[in-house]
Amino acid sequence: MSKNHHFGKGEFLMKKFLAVIGLIAIALAVSGVLHPAHAAGNWPGKNITVIVTHGAGGDTDYNARLMCRLLEKKLGVSVVPVNVTGSNGAIAMAQYKDANPDGYTFVMTNTAALIGNEASGLSDFGFDAFEVVSVYAKQSGENFVVMSDSPHRTLEELFEASRAKPNTIKFGISTGGGVYLASVIMEHAAGTKFAIIDEGDAASRMTALLGKHVDATIVPYAVTKEYIQAGQVRTLGTLLREAPALLPDVPVANSVCPELVLNTLYACLAPKGTNPAIVEALNAAMRDISQNDPEYKAEVNRYNFQEPWTLTVEESLAELRGQRELFMKYSEYLQ
Amino acid sequence: MDSALWTGFTSVALDPFVLLLIFCGVAVGIVFGSVPGLTATMAVVMFLPMTYTMTSIQGISTLVALYIGGISGGLISAILLNIPGTPSSVATCFDGSPMAKKGQASKALGIGIFFSFLGTLLGVGVLVVVSPMLAQFAIKFGAYEYCALALFSLSMVIALSGRDLTKGLISAILGAVWATVGLAPIDSRARYTFGYVELTAGFKLLVFLIGLFAISEVIRYAEKVRSDEHYEIQENVHIGGLGFTFKEFCSQIGNTIRSALIGIGIGILPGIGGGVSCMLSYTAAKNSSKDPEKFGTGIIDGIVASETANNASIGGAMIPLLSLGIPGDAVTAMLLGGLMVHNVAPGPLIFDKSAPVVYGIFIAMLIASFAMLVIEFLGLRLFTKVLKVPKNYLLPIIVMLCCVGAIGDSNRVFDAWGILFFGLVGFGLIKAAIPLTPMILGFILGPMFELNLRKVSQLFRMNPLSFMERPIAIVFFLVTAVVVFLNIRANIRANAQRTGV
Repeated sequence: MSKNHHFGKGEFLMKKFLAVIGLIAIALAVSGVLHPAHAAGNWPGKNITVIVTHGAGGDTDYNARLMCRLLEKKLGVSVVPVNVTGSNGAIAMAQYKDANPDGYTFVMTNTAALIGNEASGLSDFGFDAFEVVSVYAKQSGENFVVMSDSPHRTLEELFEASRAKPNTIKFGISTGGGVYLASVIMEHAAGTKFAIIDEGDAASRMTALLGKHVDATIVPYAVTKEYIQAGQVRTLGTLLREAPALLPDVPVANSVCPELVLNTLYACLAPKGTNPAIVEALNAAMRDISQNDPEYKAEVNRYNFQEPWTLTVEESLAELRGQRELFMKYSEYLQ
Repeated sequence: MDSALWTGFTSVALDPFVLLLIFCGVAVGIVFGSVPGLTATMAVVMFLPMTYTMTSIQGISTLVALYIGGISGGLISAILLNIPGTPSSVATCFDGSPMAKKGQASKALGIGIFFSFLGTLLGVGVLVVVSPMLAQFAIKFGAYEYCALALFSLSMVIALSGRDLTKGLISAILGAVWATVGLAPIDSRARYTFGYVELTAGFKLLVFLIGLFAISEVIRYAEKVRSDEHYEIQENVHIGGLGFTFKEFCSQIGNTIRSALIGIGIGILPGIGGGVSCMLSYTAAKNSSKDPEKFGTGIIDGIVASETANNASIGGAMIPLLSLGIPGDAVTAMLLGGLMVHNVAPGPLIFDKSAPVVYGIFIAMLIASFAMLVIEFLGLRLFTKVLKVPKNYLLPIIVMLCCVGAIGDSNRVFDAWGILFFGLVGFGLIKAAIPLTPMILGFILGPMFELNLRKVSQLFRMNPLSFMERPIAIVFFLVTAVVVFLNIRANIRANAQRTGV
């Protein structure tokens, strides 16, 4: 460009303008590369949002909030739980499946919803549409329960009675979820012949049992513990693989029918494409809280008879895959 | 004196911090209740996590204060704006708004506030005295009873339809149809979702209601905003005492007791909620009145019926929550969560294991109802000022708040489109002179009827004689048949008279 070339005034401004735009573009590009949001090195550099797939007041929400509160202390940034509810978590999962994988958005849910929705066809994708961060807690177990005045003293007796008089013993379930899966398994693997009646969520199933609208049902231990202590309700067995440490006397359902195992787990997921280093860092933070924070242990013990139980990324994936396999085996009955 | 009662009493009534929490809780609840789009449920949702770190008595006191304030606050916008602040105050609009239009807004508010208070007290009274017994009765309600009760309540459509029964039925059926969108009860089949995942959650009552009432009201105003009509509201700000006379109070005693009983009854039965209780008691008041034709023109009986019942439902809903651990509606479900976090497990052992907390809750509810009375009467003058705000400023704000409320309920923008949709539906129906109220009944009761009908048909198939073992259900079915028959006969006669003369 010659030195004595005269720019028109407009042309000069135009060039200046383009130069400024160019500089801004370069600055943006550089900051994009170096921006801490996507790099794991100085993660977390800003507030983290955690989408909770179920409403306030429930167990999924409680576990998520407790973890968020302690993560906040540990990570030094705000960890904000947001409840996005509806359709057993399917709405939240669909919305955040394609969220920005910037390492500051996560989803916390439970596995009965996560995998159950896929098996029942409510969601057309599963946990593999996300990066699995962790399986970070385990519920204290769904329990087979009857009223204390019921003639059935063991799970074996209850199953036998249903086979002896098909379609007379009323069994309360809720279609689609983990309890429904358990009822399908006992029908196919243990040959039970209950009159299956849909009574809705755990509190409604408990109501139905107390009102004698059903003879037996499955509810989480926390829902029925008061009635068990008061001697009004009898638990015939837990669906956990082994009895929880805090409730060693509860019989295990899989001793009657080996396939009757249902662990309700709480899982944390990240949008697909989230930096694996961030996933590992968050997982490590959660495991540290679960293993070393006395407040965490005290809270989960008290709230729901839970023991701290958090898996590594690898173990979490394996656990989810195992559960998915179980659900998918029966998916034709779930749809 | 019972030491648990004393501990419960002192932990609430003599602790200034707890009293402050109750007072603030009621005030915040009233704000949530009175703002269209924000509800008592949302107030409790928002503050529940904050109570996790409080002591049990602090946390639960805050939550019940929010609950009581929120349910009562709905009457303010129902009367002043003809928009129910919460689903529980739908029926308060029917006579509250005409009274406000006649220039009696203060009186309508005064009555609403006072009978809200009375309703709460009666509900809490029943809760304290006969809680466990009633709870045992409530769980006897199974599919047959709920099915019959839903059918009976649906027959109220006749009374709420006005002159034109056909239009009322169209409205009710439309309501039931909107409620079918989403996952079907029992088998979770997707209906009318068109493969769109947002629709699988269906339309929420909140979205449906604020669309129908608030947004359609705004559209209606927008339609005539360019015309020269001027609305003058002669607002008589002066009120002496409570705004109504002792004679008027005496005339409402029967109405109050009936409405409170309906409210408590609906509250005890899980899964029905305040929206139904206010409409049922309104209809009951209308049907048993000497001059039912005056209902809807702005008489105090209508406000008394609605406000007594919806607040009495609070005490009712606490009964199965505390003595059985069974939550009857969205708010009590969250209260259950709040209790469990503090290791207070509602159920048969609650009086043995957590008696001080239970008595504390009773005391907190009583204090909250007095706080509600005081705050709302002090705020009365302030509330009526809303009428002086030009509508072209007020309505956009309302639309914004409605959107915030709709989105905030489950954190999805989809619900904002939902209220717009129902706003247009409401506007269309108003144009066609189809009453909106039966649609609300259809929307709430349709799913309840469907769910229980499906359960009943399963039970009936297993054992046809099972129906004969359900006397309560049989009575409800018979009463429904009689009500429908009498109404149809009256309708035919009225039509014959009109055409005959």
